[in-house]
Amino acid sequence: MSFDQNAFLIILTGSLIAISCGLLGVFMMLRKMAMTGDAISHAVLPGIVIGFFVAGSQRGLEVIIGAGILGIIATLIIDWLRKKARVQLDASIGITFTLLFAIGIILINLFAYNVDLDQECVLYGEIAYLPIDLWVTGSGTILGPRITYLAVLNFTLVAGFIYFFFKELTLTSFDESFGSVMGIPSKGINLALMSMVSYTTVSSFEAVGAILVVALLVVPPATAFLWTKNLMPLIKLTTILGIGISILGYYLAYLFDSSIAGMMVTVAGVLFLLSALIKGRSSKSAGTSMANI
Amino acid sequence: MIIQAESPVLEIHDMTVSYDQSPVLWNIDFTLPSGQLIGILGPNGAGKSTLIKAIMGLVNPTGGYVKVFDKPLEEVRSRISYVPQRESVDWNFPASVLDVVMMGTYGKLGLFKRPGKREKEVALASLDQVGMSAFINRQISELSGGQQQRVFIARALAQDADLYLMDEPFAGVDIATEAAIFELLKKMALEGKTVVVVHHDIYSAMTYFDWMIMLNLHLVASGPKNQVVTEELLRKTYGGKLNLLSKVSELVRKQDFNPLEH
Ligand SMILES: Nc1ncnc2c1ncn2[C@@H]1O[C@H](COP(=O)(O)OP(=O)(O)O)[C@@H](O)[C@H]1O
Ligand SMILES: [Mg+2]
Repeated sequence: MSFDQNAFLIILTGSLIAISCGLLGVFMMLRKMAMTGDAISHAVLPGIVIGFFVAGSQRGLEVIIGAGILGIIATLIIDWLRKKARVQLDASIGITFTLLFAIGIILINLFAYNVDLDQECVLYGEIAYLPIDLWVTGSGTILGPRITYLAVLNFTLVAGFIYFFFKELTLTSFDESFGSVMGIPSKGINLALMSMVSYTTVSSFEAVGAILVVALLVVPPATAFLWTKNLMPLIKLTTILGIGISILGYYLAYLFDSSIAGMMVTVAGVLFLLSALIKGRSSKSAGTSMANI
Repeated sequence: MIIQAESPVLEIHDMTVSYDQSPVLWNIDFTLPSGQLIGILGPNGAGKSTLIKAIMGLVNPTGGYVKVFDKPLEEVRSRISYVPQRESVDWNFPASVLDVVMMGTYGKLGLFKRPGKREKEVALASLDQVGMSAFINRQISELSGGQQQRVFIARALAQDADLYLMDEPFAGVDIATEAAIFELLKKMALEGKTVVVVHHDIYSAMTYFDWMIMLNLHLVASGPKNQVVTEELLRKTYGGKLNLLSKVSELVRKQDFNPLEH
Protein backbone atom coordinates (compact mmCIF):
# COMPACT_ATOMS: atom_id res chain seq x y z
CA MET A 1 0.00 0.00 0.00
CA SER A 2 1.47 3.34 -0.99
CA PHE A 3 1.63 6.24 1.45
CA ASP A 4 -1.75 7.92 1.54
CA GLN A 5 -1.30 11.48 2.70
CA ASN A 6 -4.99 12.05 3.37
CA ALA A 7 -5.25 8.91 5.46
CA PHE A 8 -2.16 9.96 7.38
CA LEU A 9 -3.52 13.43 8.09
CA ILE A 10 -6.89 12.13 9.21
CA ILE A 11 -5.37 9.49 11.47
CA LEU A 12 -2.87 11.99 12.88
CA THR A 13 -5.62 14.51 13.62
CA GLY A 14 -7.91 11.83 15.05
CA SER A 15 -5.12 10.56 17.28
CA LEU A 16 -4.26 14.03 18.56
CA ILE A 17 -7.89 14.71 19.42
CA ALA A 18 -8.34 11.29 21.02
CA ILE A 19 -5.18 11.75 23.10
CA SER A 20 -6.11 15.29 24.23
CA CYS A 21 -9.54 14.09 25.28
CA GLY A 22 -8.15 10.93 26.89
CA LEU A 23 -5.52 12.77 28.96
CA LEU A 24 -8.11 15.16 30.37
CA GLY A 25 -10.54 12.25 30.70
CA VAL A 26 -8.14 10.38 33.00
CA PHE A 27 -8.29 13.20 35.53
CA MET A 28 -12.04 13.68 35.09
CA MET A 29 -12.51 9.98 35.81
CA LEU A 30 -10.24 10.07 38.87
CA ARG A 31 -12.27 12.99 40.19
CA LYS A 32 -15.48 11.06 39.58
CA MET A 33 -16.37 13.80 37.12
CA ALA A 34 -16.65 11.79 33.92
CA MET A 35 -20.28 12.89 33.66
CA THR A 36 -19.32 16.51 34.23
CA GLY A 37 -17.15 16.22 31.11
CA ASP A 38 -20.24 14.99 29.33
CA ALA A 39 -22.23 17.95 30.62
CA ILE A 40 -19.56 20.45 29.61
CA SER A 41 -19.28 19.16 26.08
CA HIS A 42 -23.04 19.60 25.63
CA ALA A 43 -23.28 22.84 27.52
CA VAL A 44 -20.72 24.60 25.33
CA LEU A 45 -23.19 24.55 22.45
CA PRO A 46 -24.85 27.90 23.26
CA GLY A 47 -21.37 29.37 23.69
CA ILE A 48 -20.40 28.14 20.24
CA VAL A 49 -23.54 29.61 18.69
CA ILE A 50 -23.17 32.96 20.44
CA GLY A 51 -19.47 33.12 19.58
CA PHE A 52 -20.33 32.20 16.03
CA PHE A 53 -22.97 34.90 15.88
CA VAL A 54 -20.57 37.51 17.19
CA ALA A 55 -17.70 36.43 14.96
CA GLY A 56 -19.85 35.65 11.93
CA SER A 57 -17.75 32.59 11.32
CA GLN A 58 -17.24 29.12 12.71
CA ARG A 59 -13.52 29.78 12.97
CA GLY A 60 -13.28 32.84 15.16
CA LEU A 61 -11.55 33.07 18.47
CA GLU A 62 -14.92 34.27 19.80
CA VAL A 63 -16.30 30.76 19.31
CA ILE A 64 -13.61 29.23 21.51
CA ILE A 65 -13.96 31.95 24.15
CA GLY A 66 -17.77 31.65 24.13
CA ALA A 67 -17.58 27.90 24.57
CA GLY A 68 -14.95 28.19 27.28
CA ILE A 69 -17.11 30.58 29.27
CA LEU A 70 -20.18 28.37 28.90
CA GLY A 71 -18.17 25.33 29.99
CA ILE A 72 -17.11 27.09 33.17
CA ILE A 73 -20.65 28.38 33.77
CA ALA A 74 -21.91 24.80 33.44
CA THR A 75 -19.38 23.59 36.03
CA LEU A 76 -20.34 26.40 38.39
CA ILE A 77 -24.08 25.72 38.02
CA ILE A 78 -23.55 22.01 38.70
CA ASP A 79 -21.44 22.81 41.73
CA TRP A 80 -23.93 25.34 43.01
CA LEU A 81 -26.92 23.03 42.56
CA ARG A 82 -25.11 20.26 44.41
CA LYS A 83 -23.64 22.22 47.30
CA LYS A 84 -26.10 25.05 47.89
CA ALA A 85 -29.40 23.70 46.59
CA ARG A 86 -28.49 20.14 47.73
CA VAL A 87 -29.52 18.55 44.46
CA GLN A 88 -27.83 15.19 43.86
CA LEU A 89 -24.83 15.24 41.57
CA ASP A 90 -26.34 13.21 38.72
CA ALA A 91 -29.52 15.28 38.79
CA SER A 92 -27.54 18.56 38.82
CA ILE A 93 -25.57 17.40 35.79
CA GLY A 94 -28.69 16.26 33.97
CA ILE A 95 -30.54 19.52 34.59
CA THR A 96 -27.59 21.72 33.66
CA PHE A 97 -26.51 20.15 30.43
CA THR A 98 -29.93 19.45 28.97
CA LEU A 99 -30.95 23.03 29.71
CA LEU A 100 -27.85 24.59 28.17
CA PHE A 101 -27.91 22.18 25.24
CA ALA A 102 -31.55 23.03 24.57
CA ILE A 103 -30.73 26.74 24.65
CA GLY A 104 -27.99 26.03 22.14
CA ILE A 105 -30.36 24.20 19.79
CA ILE A 106 -32.90 27.04 20.03
CA LEU A 107 -30.16 29.57 19.29
CA ILE A 108 -29.06 27.58 16.25
CA ASN A 109 -32.65 27.51 14.95
CA LEU A 110 -33.04 31.24 15.59
CA PHE A 111 -29.81 32.35 13.99
CA ALA A 112 -28.63 29.61 11.71
CA TYR A 113 -30.83 30.53 8.77
CA ASN A 114 -28.87 33.70 8.12
CA VAL A 115 -25.45 32.41 9.03
CA ASP A 116 -23.61 29.46 7.73
CA LEU A 117 -23.53 27.20 10.82
CA ASP A 118 -23.86 23.57 10.07
CA GLN A 119 -25.86 21.86 12.82
CA GLU A 120 -24.86 18.41 11.62
CA CYS A 121 -21.24 19.44 11.78
CA VAL A 122 -21.49 20.81 15.32
CA LEU A 123 -23.10 17.65 16.60
CA TYR A 124 -21.36 14.95 14.61
CA GLY A 125 -18.33 16.53 12.95
CA GLU A 126 -16.78 15.35 9.76
CA ILE A 127 -13.15 14.57 9.95
CA ALA A 128 -13.27 13.14 6.41
CA TYR A 129 -13.43 16.64 4.89
CA LEU A 130 -10.27 17.62 6.71
CA PRO A 131 -7.90 17.36 3.71
CA ILE A 132 -9.93 19.81 1.63
CA ASP A 133 -10.42 22.34 4.44
CA LEU A 134 -7.11 24.13 4.08
CA TRP A 135 -5.60 27.00 5.96
CA VAL A 136 -4.72 29.66 3.42
CA THR A 137 -2.84 32.79 4.48
CA GLY A 138 -3.76 36.29 3.35
CA SER A 139 -1.11 36.19 0.64
CA GLY A 140 -2.48 32.92 -0.68
CA THR A 141 0.03 30.44 0.70
CA ILE A 142 -1.52 27.07 1.53
CA LEU A 143 -0.31 25.86 4.90
CA GLY A 144 -2.22 22.59 5.17
CA PRO A 145 -5.42 21.31 6.80
CA ARG A 146 -6.81 23.84 9.28
CA ILE A 147 -8.27 21.25 11.65
CA THR A 148 -4.93 19.47 11.96
CA TYR A 149 -3.38 22.74 13.11
CA LEU A 150 -6.16 23.16 15.66
CA ALA A 151 -5.59 19.62 16.92
CA VAL A 152 -1.83 20.14 17.23
CA LEU A 153 -2.34 23.37 19.17
CA ASN A 154 -4.94 21.73 21.40
CA PHE A 155 -2.75 18.72 22.06
CA THR A 156 0.24 20.92 22.90
CA LEU A 157 -1.77 22.97 25.39
CA VAL A 158 -3.38 19.92 27.02
CA ALA A 159 -0.07 18.06 27.30
CA GLY A 160 1.63 21.17 28.68
CA PHE A 161 -1.16 21.75 31.19
CA ILE A 162 -0.94 18.20 32.48
CA TYR A 163 2.86 18.22 32.50
CA PHE A 164 3.19 21.45 34.46
CA PHE A 165 0.34 20.82 36.89
CA PHE A 166 0.82 17.08 37.21
CA LYS A 167 1.40 16.97 40.95
CA GLU A 168 -1.39 19.45 41.70
CA LEU A 169 -3.85 17.58 39.45
CA THR A 170 -2.95 14.25 41.02
CA LEU A 171 -3.10 15.46 44.60
CA THR A 172 -6.39 17.33 44.28
CA SER A 173 -7.92 14.36 42.43
CA PHE A 174 -6.99 12.01 45.27
CA ASP A 175 -7.52 14.19 48.33
CA GLU A 176 -8.79 17.69 47.70
CA SER A 177 -8.94 18.83 51.33
CA PHE A 178 -5.39 17.70 52.04
CA GLY A 179 -4.31 19.82 49.07
CA SER A 180 -6.24 22.83 50.39
CA VAL A 181 -4.62 22.49 53.81
CA MET A 182 -1.19 22.64 52.16
CA GLY A 183 -2.23 25.80 50.35
CA ILE A 184 -2.64 24.24 46.91
CA PRO A 185 -5.42 26.15 45.12
CA SER A 186 -7.79 23.22 44.61
CA LYS A 187 -10.62 25.34 43.25
CA GLY A 188 -8.34 27.04 40.75
CA ILE A 189 -6.91 23.73 39.56
CA ASN A 190 -10.43 22.39 39.17
CA LEU A 191 -11.59 25.38 37.14
CA ALA A 192 -8.47 25.19 34.98
CA LEU A 193 -9.21 21.55 34.24
CA MET A 194 -12.83 22.38 33.35
CA SER A 195 -11.65 25.18 31.07
CA MET A 196 -9.28 22.80 29.30
CA VAL A 197 -12.14 20.34 28.81
CA SER A 198 -14.36 23.11 27.38
CA TYR A 199 -11.61 24.33 25.08
CA THR A 200 -10.81 20.81 23.91
CA THR A 201 -14.48 20.18 23.20
CA VAL A 202 -14.75 23.25 21.01
CA SER A 203 -11.44 22.70 19.33
CA SER A 204 -12.48 19.16 18.43
CA PHE A 205 -16.13 19.64 17.61
CA GLU A 206 -15.61 20.35 13.92
CA ALA A 207 -13.65 17.15 13.52
CA VAL A 208 -15.50 14.63 15.65
CA GLY A 209 -18.55 16.57 16.82
CA ALA A 210 -19.58 17.71 20.28
CA ILE A 211 -21.30 14.45 21.14
CA LEU A 212 -18.51 12.13 20.11
CA VAL A 213 -15.96 14.17 22.07
CA VAL A 214 -17.71 12.85 25.16
CA ALA A 215 -16.98 9.27 24.21
CA LEU A 216 -13.31 10.10 23.74
CA LEU A 217 -13.24 11.81 27.15
CA VAL A 218 -14.80 8.88 28.95
CA VAL A 219 -14.17 5.57 27.21
CA PRO A 220 -10.38 5.32 26.71
CA PRO A 221 -9.56 6.22 30.35
CA ALA A 222 -12.21 3.83 31.64
CA THR A 223 -10.80 1.07 29.41
CA ALA A 224 -7.23 1.74 30.54
CA PHE A 225 -8.30 1.73 34.19
CA LEU A 226 -9.47 -1.85 33.74
CA TRP A 227 -5.91 -2.87 32.88
CA THR A 228 -3.75 -0.91 35.30
CA LYS A 229 -3.94 0.60 38.76
CA ASN A 230 -0.91 2.86 38.30
CA LEU A 231 -1.20 6.44 37.17
CA MET A 232 1.67 6.63 34.66
CA PRO A 233 0.78 3.36 32.90
CA LEU A 234 -2.85 4.52 32.97
CA ILE A 235 -1.92 7.70 31.11
CA LYS A 236 0.31 5.85 28.65
CA LEU A 237 -2.30 3.21 27.93
CA THR A 238 -4.95 5.90 27.38
CA THR A 239 -2.61 7.54 24.85
CA ILE A 240 -1.97 4.27 23.03
CA LEU A 241 -5.71 3.56 22.98
CA GLY A 242 -6.29 7.00 21.44
CA ILE A 243 -3.90 6.23 18.60
CA GLY A 244 -5.22 2.69 18.11
CA ILE A 245 -8.81 3.91 18.04
CA SER A 246 -7.98 6.45 15.32
CA ILE A 247 -6.16 3.96 13.09
CA LEU A 248 -8.79 1.24 13.45
CA GLY A 249 -11.61 3.76 13.22
CA TYR A 250 -10.26 5.20 9.98
CA TYR A 251 -9.74 1.91 8.17
CA LEU A 252 -13.01 0.38 9.36
CA ALA A 253 -14.88 3.49 8.23
CA TYR A 254 -13.12 3.18 4.89
CA LEU A 255 -14.05 -0.49 4.70
CA PHE A 256 -17.71 0.00 5.63
CA ASP A 257 -17.98 3.40 3.97
CA SER A 258 -19.28 5.10 7.13
CA SER A 259 -18.45 8.05 9.38
CA ILE A 260 -14.88 8.05 10.69
CA ALA A 261 -15.72 9.67 14.01
CA GLY A 262 -18.62 7.27 14.50
CA MET A 263 -16.36 4.32 13.77
CA MET A 264 -13.69 5.62 16.16
CA VAL A 265 -16.20 5.64 18.97
CA THR A 266 -17.53 2.24 18.01
CA VAL A 267 -13.99 0.86 18.17
CA ALA A 268 -13.49 2.53 21.56
CA GLY A 269 -16.73 1.00 22.83
CA VAL A 270 -15.86 -2.48 21.58
CA LEU A 271 -12.39 -2.27 23.15
CA PHE A 272 -13.97 -1.24 26.43
CA LEU A 273 -16.48 -4.09 26.36
CA LEU A 274 -13.76 -6.62 25.54
CA SER A 275 -11.60 -5.28 28.38
CA ALA A 276 -14.54 -5.38 30.76
CA LEU A 277 -15.27 -8.98 29.79
CA ILE A 278 -11.66 -10.02 30.28
CA LYS A 279 -10.83 -7.97 33.37
CA GLY A 280 -14.24 -7.03 34.75
CA ARG A 281 -14.66 -9.98 37.00
CA SER A 282 -11.29 -9.63 38.69
CA SER A 283 -11.49 -5.87 39.17
CA LYS A 284 -13.53 -4.01 41.71
CA SER A 285 -13.05 -0.68 39.97
CA ALA A 286 -14.71 -1.83 36.79
CA GLY A 287 -18.04 -1.19 38.45
CA THR A 288 -17.29 2.44 39.17
CA SER A 289 -15.78 3.06 35.76
CA MET A 290 -18.81 1.64 34.02
CA ALA A 291 -21.18 3.49 36.30
CA ASN A 292 -19.52 6.71 35.19
CA ILE A 293 -20.43 6.18 31.57
CA MET B 1 -13.69 23.62 82.73
CA ILE B 2 -11.44 25.51 80.33
CA ILE B 3 -7.81 25.89 81.28
CA GLN B 4 -5.88 28.32 79.09
CA ALA B 5 -2.37 27.56 77.86
CA GLU B 6 0.55 29.92 78.23
CA SER B 7 2.03 31.18 74.95
CA PRO B 8 -0.39 28.99 72.97
CA VAL B 9 0.28 27.51 69.49
CA LEU B 10 -3.42 27.53 68.74
CA GLU B 11 -6.02 30.02 69.84
CA ILE B 12 -9.71 29.67 69.07
CA HIS B 13 -11.87 32.58 70.04
CA ASP B 14 -15.64 32.30 70.44
CA MET B 15 -16.00 30.25 67.27
CA THR B 16 -19.34 29.04 65.92
CA VAL B 17 -19.55 26.71 62.92
CA SER B 18 -22.75 25.95 61.02
CA TYR B 19 -23.79 23.70 58.17
CA ASP B 20 -26.83 25.05 56.32
CA GLN B 21 -27.58 27.67 58.95
CA SER B 22 -27.76 25.16 61.80
CA PRO B 23 -24.78 25.44 64.13
CA VAL B 24 -22.92 22.24 65.01
CA LEU B 25 -20.26 23.93 67.14
CA TRP B 26 -21.24 26.65 69.60
CA ASN B 27 -18.98 29.33 71.05
CA ILE B 28 -15.81 27.27 71.08
CA ASP B 29 -13.09 29.13 72.94
CA PHE B 30 -9.79 27.56 74.00
CA THR B 31 -6.01 27.68 73.67
CA LEU B 32 -3.52 24.84 73.24
CA PRO B 33 0.06 24.60 74.53
CA SER B 34 3.00 23.62 72.33
CA GLY B 35 4.98 20.40 72.52
CA GLN B 36 2.15 18.27 73.85
CA LEU B 37 0.12 15.29 72.78
CA ILE B 38 -3.47 16.53 72.81
CA GLY B 39 -6.60 14.40 72.58
CA ILE B 40 -10.05 15.43 71.36
CA LEU B 41 -12.78 13.30 72.93
CA GLY B 42 -16.49 13.29 72.27
CA PRO B 43 -19.32 11.06 71.07
CA ASN B 44 -20.19 10.55 67.39
CA GLY B 45 -21.54 13.70 65.81
CA ALA B 46 -20.04 15.86 68.57
CA GLY B 47 -18.35 18.03 65.96
CA LYS B 48 -14.78 16.74 66.39
CA SER B 49 -14.08 16.53 62.66
CA THR B 50 -15.78 19.87 62.14
CA LEU B 51 -13.56 21.46 64.79
CA ILE B 52 -10.42 20.19 63.06
CA LYS B 53 -11.68 21.31 59.66
CA ALA B 54 -12.48 24.75 61.01
CA ILE B 55 -8.97 25.08 62.43
CA MET B 56 -7.56 24.38 58.98
CA GLY B 57 -10.02 26.59 57.14
CA LEU B 58 -11.75 23.70 55.34
CA VAL B 59 -15.05 24.95 56.75
CA ASN B 60 -15.65 28.59 57.49
CA PRO B 61 -16.76 29.60 60.97
CA THR B 62 -19.89 31.75 61.10
CA GLY B 63 -18.42 33.58 64.06
CA GLY B 64 -15.18 33.94 65.96
CA TYR B 65 -11.64 33.33 64.75
CA VAL B 66 -8.73 30.93 64.74
CA LYS B 67 -5.10 31.90 65.19
CA VAL B 68 -2.24 29.46 64.71
CA PHE B 69 1.24 30.36 65.99
CA ASP B 70 -0.31 33.74 66.80
CA LYS B 71 -0.93 34.39 63.09
CA PRO B 72 -3.85 34.05 60.69
CA LEU B 73 -4.03 30.64 59.07
CA GLU B 74 -2.96 31.73 55.57
CA GLU B 75 0.46 32.80 56.81
CA VAL B 76 1.32 29.52 58.53
CA ARG B 77 -0.14 26.83 56.26
CA SER B 78 3.22 25.17 55.65
CA ARG B 79 3.57 24.56 59.40
CA ILE B 80 0.28 22.66 59.72
CA SER B 81 -0.24 19.03 58.81
CA TYR B 82 -3.45 17.06 58.49
CA VAL B 83 -4.47 13.42 58.70
CA PRO B 84 -8.04 13.20 57.40
CA GLN B 85 -10.44 10.40 58.29
CA ARG B 86 -9.57 7.37 56.19
CA GLU B 87 -13.02 7.20 54.56
CA SER B 88 -12.63 10.70 53.11
CA VAL B 89 -10.80 9.39 50.02
CA ASP B 90 -11.30 6.64 47.44
CA TRP B 91 -8.56 4.05 48.00
CA ASN B 92 -9.08 2.71 44.48
CA PHE B 93 -7.11 5.69 43.24
CA PRO B 94 -4.23 4.52 41.04
CA ALA B 95 -1.26 5.27 43.29
CA SER B 96 1.39 3.39 45.23
CA VAL B 97 2.13 3.83 48.92
CA LEU B 98 5.21 5.90 48.05
CA ASP B 99 3.19 8.12 45.66
CA VAL B 100 0.73 9.01 48.42
CA VAL B 101 3.40 9.71 51.05
CA MET B 102 5.32 11.90 48.57
CA MET B 103 2.20 14.09 48.38
CA GLY B 104 3.09 15.31 51.85
CA THR B 105 6.08 17.13 50.36
CA TYR B 106 4.13 18.96 47.64
CA GLY B 107 3.17 21.92 49.82
CA LYS B 108 6.77 22.99 50.45
CA LEU B 109 7.74 22.19 46.86
CA GLY B 110 5.64 24.94 45.30
CA LEU B 111 4.10 25.26 41.85
CA PHE B 112 5.84 23.73 38.78
CA LYS B 113 8.54 21.98 40.82
CA ARG B 114 8.69 18.22 40.63
CA PRO B 115 9.43 15.96 43.57
CA GLY B 116 12.97 14.62 43.32
CA LYS B 117 15.50 12.64 45.29
CA ARG B 118 15.22 14.71 48.45
CA GLU B 119 11.43 14.38 48.55
CA LYS B 120 11.72 10.65 48.01
CA GLU B 121 14.13 10.34 50.93
CA VAL B 122 11.75 12.26 53.18
CA ALA B 123 8.90 9.96 52.14
CA LEU B 124 10.94 6.80 52.72
CA ALA B 125 12.02 8.01 56.17
CA SER B 126 8.39 8.77 57.06
CA LEU B 127 7.30 5.31 55.93
CA ASP B 128 10.05 3.81 58.03
CA GLN B 129 8.75 5.66 61.09
CA VAL B 130 5.31 4.08 60.78
CA GLY B 131 6.73 0.64 59.98
CA MET B 132 5.55 0.58 56.36
CA SER B 133 8.93 0.29 54.62
CA ALA B 134 8.05 -3.13 53.27
CA PHE B 135 5.08 -1.75 51.36
CA ILE B 136 6.55 1.16 49.39
CA ASN B 137 5.48 -0.07 45.97
CA ARG B 138 2.20 -1.64 47.03
CA GLN B 139 -0.98 -0.26 45.41
CA ILE B 140 -2.98 1.63 48.02
CA SER B 141 -6.12 -0.31 47.04
CA GLU B 142 -4.40 -3.47 48.27
CA LEU B 143 -3.78 -2.25 51.82
CA SER B 144 -5.71 -3.15 54.97
CA GLY B 145 -7.52 -0.37 56.82
CA GLY B 146 -4.79 -0.12 59.43
CA GLN B 147 -2.10 0.08 56.76
CA GLN B 148 -4.00 2.81 54.91
CA GLN B 149 -4.17 4.72 58.17
CA ARG B 150 -0.40 4.40 58.60
CA VAL B 151 0.16 5.65 55.06
CA PHE B 152 -1.87 8.76 55.93
CA ILE B 153 0.21 9.29 59.07
CA ALA B 154 3.43 8.89 57.07
CA ARG B 155 2.15 11.44 54.55
CA ALA B 156 1.59 13.91 57.38
CA LEU B 157 5.08 13.21 58.77
CA ALA B 158 6.54 13.92 55.32
CA GLN B 159 5.07 17.42 55.59
CA ASP B 160 7.46 18.16 58.45
CA ALA B 161 5.10 20.56 60.21
CA ASP B 162 4.93 22.00 63.71
CA LEU B 163 1.24 21.40 64.35
CA TYR B 164 -0.34 18.06 63.45
CA LEU B 165 -4.10 17.57 63.34
CA MET B 166 -5.18 13.95 63.08
CA ASP B 167 -8.79 12.81 62.66
CA GLU B 168 -9.25 9.33 64.16
CA PRO B 169 -5.88 8.04 62.98
CA PHE B 170 -6.31 4.88 65.03
CA ALA B 171 -9.62 3.71 63.59
CA GLY B 172 -9.07 0.13 62.43
CA VAL B 173 -5.47 0.02 63.69
CA ASP B 174 -4.47 -2.95 65.87
CA ILE B 175 -3.37 -2.36 69.45
CA ALA B 176 0.33 -3.08 68.91
CA THR B 177 0.51 -0.61 66.01
CA GLU B 178 -1.49 1.93 67.98
CA ALA B 179 1.01 1.74 70.84
CA ALA B 180 3.97 2.04 68.45
CA ILE B 181 2.49 5.07 66.71
CA PHE B 182 1.62 6.72 70.03
CA GLU B 183 5.29 6.32 71.02
CA LEU B 184 6.22 8.05 67.76
CA LEU B 185 3.77 10.90 68.42
CA LYS B 186 5.11 11.24 71.95
CA LYS B 187 8.62 11.57 70.59
CA MET B 188 7.43 14.27 68.19
CA ALA B 189 5.82 16.13 71.09
CA LEU B 190 9.10 15.95 73.02
CA GLU B 191 10.80 17.55 70.01
CA GLY B 192 8.44 20.50 70.43
CA LYS B 193 5.76 19.58 67.89
CA THR B 194 2.13 19.84 68.86
CA VAL B 195 0.04 16.80 68.01
CA VAL B 196 -3.76 16.99 68.19
CA VAL B 197 -5.56 13.66 67.82
CA VAL B 198 -9.28 12.92 67.60
CA HIS B 199 -9.62 9.70 69.52
CA HIS B 200 -12.51 7.38 70.28
CA ASP B 201 -11.18 5.26 73.12
CA ILE B 202 -11.17 6.83 76.58
CA TYR B 203 -8.93 4.12 78.03
CA SER B 204 -5.99 4.59 75.71
CA ALA B 205 -6.65 8.33 75.73
CA MET B 206 -5.98 8.33 79.48
CA THR B 207 -2.73 6.50 78.90
CA TYR B 208 -1.23 8.57 76.13
CA PHE B 209 -2.44 12.15 76.07
CA ASP B 210 -1.02 15.08 78.04
CA TRP B 211 -3.86 17.47 77.39
CA MET B 212 -7.51 16.76 76.68
CA ILE B 213 -10.31 18.56 74.84
CA MET B 214 -13.81 17.27 75.54
CA LEU B 215 -16.46 18.25 73.10
CA ASN B 216 -20.14 17.75 72.52
CA LEU B 217 -21.36 20.57 70.25
CA HIS B 218 -20.27 22.87 73.08
CA LEU B 219 -16.80 22.77 74.55
CA VAL B 220 -17.04 20.81 77.79
CA ALA B 221 -13.42 20.94 78.88
CA SER B 222 -9.93 21.74 77.74
CA GLY B 223 -6.86 21.38 79.93
CA PRO B 224 -4.18 19.04 81.32
CA LYS B 225 -5.54 15.50 81.45
CA ASN B 226 -5.28 15.15 85.23
CA GLN B 227 -7.35 18.24 85.82
CA VAL B 228 -10.14 17.89 83.28
CA VAL B 229 -10.89 14.16 83.08
CA THR B 230 -13.39 13.85 85.89
CA GLU B 231 -16.48 11.72 86.10
CA GLU B 232 -18.69 14.78 86.04
CA LEU B 233 -17.12 16.21 82.89
CA LEU B 234 -17.10 12.84 81.13
CA ARG B 235 -20.80 12.53 81.96
CA LYS B 236 -21.36 15.96 80.49
CA THR B 237 -19.46 14.99 77.34
CA TYR B 238 -21.00 11.62 76.71
CA GLY B 239 -24.44 12.21 78.16
CA GLY B 240 -26.24 9.48 80.03
CA LYS B 241 -24.76 6.42 78.36
CA LEU B 242 -24.84 4.20 81.44
CA ASN B 243 -22.81 1.27 80.26
CA LEU B 244 -20.02 3.54 79.23
CA LEU B 245 -20.25 5.67 82.33
CA SER B 246 -19.94 2.83 84.79
CA LYS B 247 -16.74 1.87 83.02
CA VAL B 248 -15.63 5.46 83.14
CA SER B 249 -16.20 5.84 86.87
CA GLU B 250 -14.21 2.71 87.33
CA LEU B 251 -11.49 4.24 85.23
CA VAL B 252 -11.48 7.47 87.19
CA ARG B 253 -11.43 5.54 90.46
CA LYS B 254 -8.51 3.44 89.26
CA GLN B 255 -6.72 6.57 88.30
CA ASP B 256 -7.07 7.94 91.82
CA PHE B 257 -5.53 4.89 93.46
CA ASN B 258 -3.22 3.68 90.79
CA PRO B 259 -2.56 6.35 88.17
CA LEU B 260 -2.52 4.94 84.67
CA GLU B 261 0.09 7.28 83.34
CA HIS B 262 3.63 6.02 83.44
N1 LIG C 1 -20.87 18.54 55.26
C1 LIG C 1 -21.84 18.53 56.19
N2 LIG C 1 -23.06 19.04 55.91
C2 LIG C 1 -24.03 19.04 56.84
N3 LIG C 1 -23.90 18.55 58.08
C3 LIG C 1 -22.71 18.02 58.43
C4 LIG C 1 -21.62 17.98 57.50
N4 LIG C 1 -20.56 17.40 58.12
C5 LIG C 1 -20.98 17.09 59.37
N5 LIG C 1 -22.27 17.45 59.56
C6 LIG C 1 -23.02 17.31 60.81
O1 LIG C 1 -22.34 18.00 61.82
C7 LIG C 1 -22.34 17.27 63.03
C8 LIG C 1 -20.91 17.08 63.52
O2 LIG C 1 -20.23 16.24 62.59
P1 LIG C 1 -18.71 15.81 62.78
O3 LIG C 1 -17.89 17.03 62.98
O4 LIG C 1 -18.35 14.93 61.64
O5 LIG C 1 -18.74 14.96 64.13
P2 LIG C 1 -17.70 13.90 64.71
O6 LIG C 1 -16.45 13.97 63.90
O7 LIG C 1 -17.50 14.33 66.14
O8 LIG C 1 -18.35 12.56 64.65
C9 LIG C 1 -23.07 15.99 62.75
O9 LIG C 1 -24.38 16.13 63.22
C10 LIG C 1 -23.05 15.86 61.26
O10 LIG C 1 -24.21 15.22 60.80
MG1 LIG D 1 -15.47 12.59 62.68
